[in-house]
Amino acid sequence: MNSVVVKSKEVTLLEILDRVLDKGVVISGDMVISVADVDLIYLGLKVLLSSVETMEKLRGSPFISPMQEAK
Amino acid sequence: MTRQQLVYLYCVADREPELKETEGLADDLYFVCNNGLYAVASKVEEEEFGQEGLKRNMADFEWVKAKASAHERIIDLVMADTDVIPFKFGTLFNTNDSLKAMLEQYGEEFKAILRKLAHKQEWGLKIYCNSEKLKTSFSNDEAEILKIENEIKSSSVGKSYFLKKKKDELIEKTLNERINECGQESFELLKELSFEAHINRLLPREVTEREDDMVLNSAFLVDKDEVGDFQNMVDTLKMHYEGKGFLIDCTGPWPPYNFCGLSSEKGQNE
Repeated sequence: MNSVVVKSKEVTLLEILDRVLDKGVVISGDMVISVADVDLIYLGLKVLLSSVETMEKLRGSPFISPMQEAK
Repeated sequence: MTRQQLVYLYCVADREPELKETEGLADDLYFVCNNGLYAVASKVEEEEFGQEGLKRNMADFEWVKAKASAHERIIDLVMADTDVIPFKFGTLFNTNDSLKAMLEQYGEEFKAILRKLAHKQEWGLKIYCNSEKLKTSFSNDEAEILKIENEIKSSSVGKSYFLKKKKDELIEKTLNERINECGQESFELLKELSFEAHINRLLPREVTEREDDMVLNSAFLVDKDEVGDFQNMVDTLKMHYEGKGFLIDCTGPWPPYNFCGLSSEKGQNE
């Protein structure tokens, strides 16, 4: 029944930043380093990610969110 | 043995995972079990992942790239046989006991998330737009733009300056409309075929390493039986939009990074 699923995936820098470093379950607790600290340590990455926000502002958010638009 | 080791957590599953060869991605994987949940972990050196080491290493782009991609590949291996909750890069514990305590504390929430994720996959859809190409593709068939162009030809210098400005504004407006249409239509149609869908922030060229601009960054949680239909829809969208200045990039299956938020952190994420 299930048609053949084509797996297409490269673990690029883009996907690392977008998924592995940005998403996934975050828990605190008895950890050596809390993930919040890791966030602060991104340094170079942090610069990149803050430029994301800048870009969204510059572009005037052409695509805000269809969910919002749909109300 | 004097060197301190830490416990690095990759993911949590509700079935005993088959731990295969990690192809040198990490030291031996093992799992810690508590009350029907399995946390897949490996030992890492305190020197590398401890507070000081991590601070130093996170500034080293090559290190981050290598370790984060190992993180992803390891979860991929586990995901081949069972549903998983992927954890964020750099989730560390002092001991197996503290990892076990965390499993105990969040056990019910993890089980609820795994029930939701059962038999589903995360797929990613990113759309890029080459504005110049898109402008060319619509400038020749937009009646209003063509009309202004004709007017410009038969106008005085002063008036044609004004008309050119008007034409440029119209082109920008149409450009934004077309980008919105493409993003919105693609997202809505794929959302129909998904269990859940998210729109993520757009990433700049420094991150995408591309010449064109990202105009949609989205993730979908798709039932495994629907993946074929989902991919057919992506192909339909590609046929419609590619060649007109858009590029549609669909990737997967990913560990469900975008669909495993704990209810307690929901407020922060939304």
